[in-house]
Amino acid sequence: MDDVATKIIDILKKHMKEPRDDIGLNTALTDLKIESLDLAMIVFDIEDTFGIEIPYNANEEAADFKTVGSVVDRVRALIESSGAAAAKA
Amino acid sequence: MQGAAVPHRVVVTGLGVVTPIGTTVPQFWDGCKRAQLGISPLDGFDVGDLKILIGAQIRDFDPKTRLKHFQRDKIILHADRYSWFAAAAADEAIKQSGLQVPFKDAYRVACIVGSGAGGLQTMETCYRDLFIHKKRATHPLTLLRFIGSSAAAHVGIEFGVKGPTFATCSACSTAAHAIGIGKDYIRHGLADIAIVGASESVINYGVMRAWQAMHVLSPEGCYPFAKKRNGTVLAEGAGILVLESMAHAKSRGAKILAELCGFGMTSDSKDMVNPDIDGPSEAMRLSLEDAELAPSDIDYLNAHGTATTINDRNETNAIKHVFGKHAYNLAVSSTKSMHGHPLGAGGGIEAVACIKAMQDNWVPPTIGLDEPDADCDLDYVPNQGRAKEVTYAMSNSFAFGGLNAVLIFGPAPA
Repeated sequence: MDDVATKIIDILKKHMKEPRDDIGLNTALTDLKIESLDLAMIVFDIEDTFGIEIPYNANEEAADFKTVGSVVDRVRALIESSGAAAAKA
Repeated sequence: MQGAAVPHRVVVTGLGVVTPIGTTVPQFWDGCKRAQLGISPLDGFDVGDLKILIGAQIRDFDPKTRLKHFQRDKIILHADRYSWFAAAAADEAIKQSGLQVPFKDAYRVACIVGSGAGGLQTMETCYRDLFIHKKRATHPLTLLRFIGSSAAAHVGIEFGVKGPTFATCSACSTAAHAIGIGKDYIRHGLADIAIVGASESVINYGVMRAWQAMHVLSPEGCYPFAKKRNGTVLAEGAGILVLESMAHAKSRGAKILAELCGFGMTSDSKDMVNPDIDGPSEAMRLSLEDAELAPSDIDYLNAHGTATTINDRNETNAIKHVFGKHAYNLAVSSTKSMHGHPLGAGGGIEAVACIKAMQDNWVPPTIGLDEPDADCDLDYVPNQGRAKEVTYAMSNSFAFGGLNAVLIFGPAPA
């Protein structure tokens, strides 16, 4: 697991009432008992940690956030595109 | 309003406070007994160029200890400080009432917990983040933290209240209005139980600057009715009561602490800051009429007593106007001299002081009263509390805007 994944799992743990040590890329967020407000706080923390903005609307079902791995992929893509944007600028 | 055929009598079965002189009712009352001063140099934030450097802050309150057993409300520890105070005071009051939570008929329970200002600590942080630190975003819970109804909602969620749940907002009369409305709901059959009161936590740089600009804060201390008084001192805290219909309380064998027998409210409708005698007098008179009592029945009056030049003189005159000669037999005190001015929460904390005075037949003092103002010539129980039989107690709350609310507490009905 790379640095992005480790950091994201740490953020998830921080927001869980009872943090677990068996969280992997295939773990479903629903299994972590993450509710809508927790998700808002997790997104905020991830954005702060990686200096990115995650387009996300609490009114919509977020397919990107089904598993830990899908969150990691999404964040990695956003980091890359923001890095590309920064390189262009 | 749908009315009960015979209005219900309303009793108090639980008390809860968080104050600068004690963060539970026993600690607070012990503080009153010891004439404890809750005012000290401001702490916990950068005072920068503030000219007013004192306040009545709560220093020994740990939400992680006080609220760790909360079950239903999952985000209470993420809430604003004002919601923490409300939650802790409500928890104490409900525990004392002995009511089983969640309630059997949750739709018959009201939760009216006000705040004069809401989560201003949160707003201060949010604006600093955005405007000074140029942060990308505010904390996602900023909105839920600052709205003025969040304390009521947090308390309602934790205790499973499903009836009327909202906040009152009337500056320094906020708690008294909440308590009075709860009384009316029970009296007229809209609820059997009401969790009522208010909470406040606004001591930060920005709010201090706003108050400082009004020139009504004292740089030295809160000395109600004293010749040397030169303004009030901001405080924080919460005061919550559990009210029930007498029939409901008796049917479950609850210990009744007092009857809430009178409520009167008026508005001066004249000026934002200069009170008149008529509005406060009429609120006191209406509360006596509601309680079916004569002025001479009142033994103790917990004054609004803010220590501003104008309030204390005006309140004294209004008391004389309502009570006539009996004004000089009354024990009148301002507990704000000890716990400071907790704005909207004042009426809740002071209601608790009234009920404790009745329980113990002991009236709390007005401390710092070395030399009374010539215009303030009543018995303000100077410096030390004293034994006095208290059968009926009145609590005054008079707010900016001329918003007046008065409560009367009496003995538990036989």
